[in-house]
Amino acid sequence: MPKVKTNRVKFPEGWELIEPTLRELQAKMREAENDPHDGKRKCETLWPIFKVAHQKSRYIFDLYHRRKEISKELYEFCLDQGYADRNLLAKWKKPGYERLCCLRCMQPRDHNFATTCVCRVPKHLREEKVIECVHCGCKGCASGD
Amino acid sequence: MAHRLLRDHEADGWERSDFPIICESCLGDNPYVRMTKADYDKECKICTRPFTVFRWRPGRDARYKKTEVCQTCSKLKNVCQVCLLDLEYGLPVQVRDTALSINSNDAIPKSDVNREYFAEEHDRRARAGLDYESSYGKVRPNDTILKLQRTTPYYKRNRAHICSFYVRGECTRGAECPYRHEMPVTGELSQQNIKDRYYGVNDPVALKLLNKAGEMPSLEPPEDESIKTLYVGGLDKRVTEQDLRDNFYAHGEIETIKMVLDKACAFVTYTTREGAEKAAEELSNKLVIKGLRLKLMWGKPQAPRPESETSEGGTQQVAVAHGGMLPRAVISQQQNQFQPSGPGVQDQPPPMQYFNIPPPPQLDRAFYPSMDPQRMGALVPSHDGESKSGSEKPQQGQHYPYQAMPPPPEQYPTQLYPPYGYMQPMPPYQQYPYHPAMPPPQAPPATQQYQHSGPPRPPPPVSGPSTSAPPVPSSSGSAPPVPGPSADASGSSHQ
Repeated sequence: MPKVKTNRVKFPEGWELIEPTLRELQAKMREAENDPHDGKRKCETLWPIFKVAHQKSRYIFDLYHRRKEISKELYEFCLDQGYADRNLLAKWKKPGYERLCCLRCMQPRDHNFATTCVCRVPKHLREEKVIECVHCGCKGCASGD
Repeated sequence: MAHRLLRDHEADGWERSDFPIICESCLGDNPYVRMTKADYDKECKICTRPFTVFRWRPGRDARYKKTEVCQTCSKLKNVCQVCLLDLEYGLPVQVRDTALSINSNDAIPKSDVNREYFAEEHDRRARAGLDYESSYGKVRPNDTILKLQRTTPYYKRNRAHICSFYVRGECTRGAECPYRHEMPVTGELSQQNIKDRYYGVNDPVALKLLNKAGEMPSLEPPEDESIKTLYVGGLDKRVTEQDLRDNFYAHGEIETIKMVLDKACAFVTYTTREGAEKAAEELSNKLVIKGLRLKLMWGKPQAPRPESETSEGGTQQVAVAHGGMLPRAVISQQQNQFQPSGPGVQDQPPPMQYFNIPPPPQLDRAFYPSMDPQRMGALVPSHDGESKSGSEKPQQGQHYPYQAMPPPPEQYPTQLYPPYGYMQPMPPYQQYPYHPAMPPPQAPPATQQYQHSGPPRPPPPVSGPSTSAPPVPSSSGSAPPVPGPSADASGSSHQ
């Protein structure tokens, strides 16, 4: 008999309450992954992925840090299982980055002249008011707006 | 990293450079410009050799521009790396070559390996410091070139390209679409080819320019033989009387030069008619002082009127107070308004049409106040629609008996009258105390002044040529507040 090791996931208490929403969000992600690319620009096809990922992370973050409805154990469990992006949440805890759209937009190494993406600029300081950042389609994630 | 080991860039003759060779228009209006440099990023559109691509944004409303041809190619023809127009004159290669009769085309091979070899050879020689024959710096600019050249940078070419989806009606990006939502201008000019433009062959823009040059009207001497005055328009505060003198003295003895900064113009009077004609002929389309292209036209005689540009528009009402400063803004304004009818040298026919009063008699220097029916406040329902009540005493005939045509009609849409008619008696009075404080705000209202044709100028210029010095500062000083009230009165549409 082959040695089959299964690491069975042991769900902490409180999981049943958040599971339906998480399943929904996962389904949404799958949908975004399988969308046809017709009519969209090349960069635009990836935007829904970033958007759903942001939504999932936001849900978990809000539950624990803002609404305080889940336990630390459950929160850590979600992060470990990959229902939320740990690095993104780490940024949300910092002042000024509470609404960060994705990790690429604030990485100066990824941009010319070592700047951030235009979506990080507050609307009142920008010249073009309506923009969609090319990485994630964000329309503005500065904390003030 | 592998590619770097495989290719030795120096041996291949690939081009590296430190800064692009570009013209002012392509560089943009922003003094702070961030440019990226990418070695061997693209191949030159002409010689297809890899070269250093520079990419920057020439201003806030501009698209990103990048160098399209390599420096070797651009040096061969002395053109900008982006727009392929001459660096000095801003003209297409074909125009410059025909105007200066340069023909270097035979030397540059156009096909394949020949071309690459030639480019590399040239590059090698240039790098080695050998002075290849570049005739571009040594050629004296001739008339045609001077007429055609671009004197100010042209930033419209830096705008974003036209949204092709919008043209089809399918642009889903809406407000965030960075491309222009306009219909493209089709026509012969839109079929341009970079190689044709570079080699100066079969370039539609160049052909159009050359045709236009051939037909550029030269300044016709006016029939009235007594006119010895030339009107110079498009002035700026950078252009001084001395500049004008330097430019005009060569053609004849200058009698006087009168500068009207408010209207951005000047009048140059010669002692002899021949001098004036010579100057007109020589400078007609080529007058460029300090980078500003100036418009040259004949001054228009108008009985014994001082140049109407300095017409003391809004001050008729206070003319009495000035005791002797006589704006005849009515007539001069009406004449100004009629200028759009054409570059007519004669002003007789046009003004007739809407004068309700008989035009002033065309006497040289013999105009008396009593001959002007409007003098004592007669109402004239003229073009203005305003009643010019208030005394507008025509000036005594000590001043230049001509009235030059105002600058291009477009500067005088229909706003000549509002400032004139709307002038309340009060503001002009207030102008004088304002003088000291005014100089700073002078610049911003400058454009307004054009629109308001400057008539609302105080009498000072009218007080006589002898006192022209003091009045000029005061006139320029008081001009700002004058358009102010009138501008408000005339509505914000003008702004």
